[in-house]
Amino acid sequence: MSTAQVWVAPALWASVGKLLRLRLRIWWSGIKRASKRRKVGLAIFALLILAGLGLLIFLSWSLLRFIQSPQLAEMVGDQGAFIDSLPVLLVGGAFLGILLTSFGVLLQALYLANDMDFLLAAPIPIRAVFIAKLLQAILPNLALISLFSIPILVGLGLARGYNLLYYVLIGVVILALALAAAGLGGLLVMGVVRIFPARRVAEVLGFVGAISSFICSQSGQFARFEDVPPDQAVQVMNNFSRFTSPWSPLSWPGQALVSLGNNQWLAGFGYLVLTLGICAAFFYSSLVVAEKLYYSGWANMQNNRRKKKAAASARPVQANSVRAILTRLLPQPVRAIMLKDFYMLRRDLRNMSQLITPLIFGIVYAFMILRGDDPMPSPDVDTPVWIAEAMRNLPLYINVALAMFVSWMLVSRLAGMGFSQEGKSYWMLKAAPLSTAQLLGTKFLVAFLPSLALGWIYLLIISMLQPAGLSQLWFTLPVVALTTAANTGVNLAFGVAGANMTWEDPRRMTTGLNGCLAALLTMLLLPFCMLLFFGPAILIAMLGVSPILGQLVGLLVGGLACAAAAILPPWLVRKRVPSLDEPAA
Amino acid sequence: MANAPLIETEQLTKRFGDKLAVDQVSFSVYAGEIFGFLGPNGAGKTTTIKMIAGLLKPTSGTVKVAGFDVQAEPLKAKAANGFVPDNPNLYPKLSGRELLRFVGDLYSVPSAQIERRSEELLRLFDLAGAADDPIDSYSHGMQQKTALAAALVHDPRVLVLDEPTVGLDPKSARLIKDILRQLAERGATVFLSTHILEIAERMCDRIGIISQGRLIAIGTMGELRSASTGQDSLEDIFLSLTGGTEYAEIAEVLK
Repeated sequence: MSTAQVWVAPALWASVGKLLRLRLRIWWSGIKRASKRRKVGLAIFALLILAGLGLLIFLSWSLLRFIQSPQLAEMVGDQGAFIDSLPVLLVGGAFLGILLTSFGVLLQALYLANDMDFLLAAPIPIRAVFIAKLLQAILPNLALISLFSIPILVGLGLARGYNLLYYVLIGVVILALALAAAGLGGLLVMGVVRIFPARRVAEVLGFVGAISSFICSQSGQFARFEDVPPDQAVQVMNNFSRFTSPWSPLSWPGQALVSLGNNQWLAGFGYLVLTLGICAAFFYSSLVVAEKLYYSGWANMQNNRRKKKAAASARPVQANSVRAILTRLLPQPVRAIMLKDFYMLRRDLRNMSQLITPLIFGIVYAFMILRGDDPMPSPDVDTPVWIAEAMRNLPLYINVALAMFVSWMLVSRLAGMGFSQEGKSYWMLKAAPLSTAQLLGTKFLVAFLPSLALGWIYLLIISMLQPAGLSQLWFTLPVVALTTAANTGVNLAFGVAGANMTWEDPRRMTTGLNGCLAALLTMLLLPFCMLLFFGPAILIAMLGVSPILGQLVGLLVGGLACAAAAILPPWLVRKRVPSLDEPAA
Repeated sequence: MANAPLIETEQLTKRFGDKLAVDQVSFSVYAGEIFGFLGPNGAGKTTTIKMIAGLLKPTSGTVKVAGFDVQAEPLKAKAANGFVPDNPNLYPKLSGRELLRFVGDLYSVPSAQIERRSEELLRLFDLAGAADDPIDSYSHGMQQKTALAAALVHDPRVLVLDEPTVGLDPKSARLIKDILRQLAERGATVFLSTHILEIAERMCDRIGIISQGRLIAIGTMGELRSASTGQDSLEDIFLSLTGGTEYAEIAEVLK
């Protein structure tokens, strides 16, 4: 063929450009085809980011001016060393941030995107494919981390009066670090996937990521910042300067910026050359390793051999015990779907992270209550009876509210996503002889039973740890059960209305307007239910009647309202269930 | 045919917005019959099949399976039906054995029978060795075979298959052909779509050809031959009916 003789291999960077342009075109095409509402949302988001950038620069500049002010220096001493250590910390933190986030993105890009075979078979340099993949993987994270770190670094520079080179090199250093992080991340991904299946790694990563971020977000509840004396705070600030050790490679990029900003040319250029050299080495070696692994077919090979037999023999015992209980209580198709859902939830670690979140939340807040920072107020002698009654019952209300909240967190995940979690396998349920009522009822039970169990166990434990808690269980247990049922009904209905069967990652099921509306509505439902359950007890106490009668009335009124909330919303969306997963007509 | 039809469509129509995917399709498939449903890509085969299986609601017209209207009596119709889609998206975290038990339970098959049939089917489809592995570790062919096994757990009277041999090795493809023939001999109805005309020609008792949403031909091979002038093979009949003969000219240009 004459075409083969004249064909010239495309240049490396031209191919990289071509691949990145393709990705950009796909992204832009997605935006162009998006709904008007989404486009407006994106425009507002972009404006908010720009405003946030300006605010960050201003805040960091103002804060650092304040830290440098003579008045503060008189009180806590000179903070120059602390401020000079901030770029080191920020740049090092940016590197670690990009490294951690790029691991997951690279895992997806190199192993789970399913386009590697197509790209490697195309007549473009293999290296171009990997450069494009690495750049594609780090660009979103680089942009995100730059959004936070660059304005602060600029603010720092303004406050310290660094020279122009500092500002120029901020971008260069962060870009080099991002490439190094991508390279290192790529090497780690390829190493890990040689041992474990890529999909399993993605699940574990999702689980660990979600749990860690939740723990981090709640860890502030444990700390008592108000108790930290000022001298200890100053000591902590001084300790930051220890991160600028010349022996730590993580500090070199930041030290390069600070030294050059302070006109210390020799040290600055020394650190800069070291930083850029190491970054280039990481990036280059990841490209070489990736090429070799993929070309020799070793990229997807795993060294481990799973112990299938042991796992297989362990499963039926547990399955049979669960099945034996369910067999006696529920119709065969209903218990089949319940068992299937529990298996699916348990076996996908990304689901587990969402299910464990309420437990962590419960533990954190139970710990806070039991720590007992603020003792409950006790009524005075001249306090009216009904107010005294309400005050005495305050721990009870708090216990119930917490148990309701913990079960609400679980129920919103299980009920809201009950149908969406079927995903592309929904055809199996749709083709089976199941009525809409059976399907809705089963999904209701799948969400309600574990949430109820969690709420009750939480309530029991917390009641056992408090003096009068157990004696009120006859009242509090039904309250938690009924509100959980109400929440299940509302969440299930919104889950049906906004079902998304096309997700690839379970965490994508939670996006969407319906999820937000369900969360908002059920958040309002919780205090409303509490008012209905506890209101009559307080009102009847005003009349001097036995509080037990008030609680019974509360159970009746609240119970009726909860039953309505549990049944009506699913009933309203029942006609949508048979048409789920159908293209729009 | 003397016996009653187990699949019956009457003026079946499905519209997606402006696009008419299936246009007034009417046919009947009888007990003991293997019916091949052919058509070019995008002709409306999968849409028709999904309406028969109760996965899509027709815009107009009716589908009856085992005498039950799929819209009016969906549970009875579905209980008689076994369905294998073109792309077997099975629950990835269940094992093959668990999936068969799950499907058996969905169709309310007695527990002992599920156990027995599951083991038989796993052995038959050469899946016994991987029966306790999660389905997401299966190859495409294994998933296809698992989907087929799942469709057979409840011993359906009607079996609807969309491209059942795609992704299967010759041994498995042969096995499936044998199973479908045995099912038909036992009085079940098999409705399958395929692009492999050799399968349709050899296996199917009757063939329907759909093009641009309309059923343009239906009958036995002999009836199709006599209806088309001078065409002997199913491939020639198919191409002359669906307008594929111009591709021969394109192939000439590419030579």
